Amino acid sequence: MKKFLTTAFLFTLAAVAFAQGAPVVQKSLFEGQFVAHLSLAIAAAGCGLGQGKAVVAACEGVARNPQAAGAIRTTMIIGLALIEALVIYVLVAAFAIK
Amino acid sequence: MEHHASLLAKWLTQVLGLAQHPWPGFSHGAALSILERYDHLLNAALAALVAMLITGLVRKNLARIPGPLQQVFEGVVGGLKEMLNDNIAHHGEKYLPFIGTMALFVFFNNLFGLIPALSPGTSNWNVTLGAALVVFGYYNWHGMKEQGIGKYWLHFAGPIWWLAPLMFPLEILGLLSRILSHSLRLFGNIAGEHVVAGIFFGLMPILLPVPMMFLGLFFGLIQTFVFTMLATIYLSGAVSHEH
Repeated sequence: MKKFLTTAFLFTLAAVAFAQGAPVVQKSLFEGQFVAHLSLAIAAAGCGLGQGKAVVAACEGVARNPQAAGAIRTTMIIGLALIEALVIYVLVAAFAIK
Repeated sequence: MEHHASLLAKWLTQVLGLAQHPWPGFSHGAALSILERYDHLLNAALAALVAMLITGLVRKNLARIPGPLQQVFEGVVGGLKEMLNDNIAHHGEKYLPFIGTMALFVFFNNLFGLIPALSPGTSNWNVTLGAALVVFGYYNWHGMKEQGIGKYWLHFAGPIWWLAPLMFPLEILGLLSRILSHSLRLFGNIAGEHVVAGIFFGLMPILLPVPMMFLGLFFGLIQTFVFTMLATIYLSGAVSHEH
């Protein structure tokens, strides 16, 4: 394991050493594609939690009163669409970042 | 976002021999013909044409014993009618022609993403913004017609008179941001789905995109439903009398 880690570390160093040959434009990590992907991941995580709660509540409602399934389903889909819209805003912003 | 013209637009450009030239400030100055530049309008017009042709066909062949296509359309119209009657008291069916047209237009546009050589018109913000603006104009117009111009604008001020200076700007802001959310939701969903399907297609063009395309069919249906449902809710908020 120790040998593997040492080799991996040396390879990383080698990569850095090779990269220094070419002129590199210094660019912050928090700009461009990276931040778009990261923000989309955060938004998707939050949206997943929220939608999960909504679906759990809808399932419980349908299990207790199956006759109300139609109305609950419609309301749930509207709610899910409104939650999902927040992620879609981030997605649109990520499209805008080049 | 990079501009990718659909194969149909490229093919039409070649067949018709249209001139290609760079467009200022668009897609890094790539040489595009007018059809490739306004690809989304071509596809949206095509979707509208297909929707009109199919509904015209159904209407021409109306039969007492319905065929498969007529049954599908009876289900769609029945469902829309039920939705309108549930949300708008007393006179929901009055708005069926408009809501039905919007639903069909959006639905056929969404499905165009599944056909090779075409791209969905709704994966461009301009098309969805147009649809959302039409809906916005429609419900404001009918709200003013149903309630009277003064009463319609006054109900944004809220019930308490001394809170009106605070409430009125907020409500107007909410009204205007509806256009944005209504259009961006549809655009983002369809464009995102299309991009993911394209990436899957790039990974492996056989079999791998099929589940994604199936998901695209489902999303197209759901997003059409959501778009129509929200239009109905906005309309019901505008035209319903408050007692």
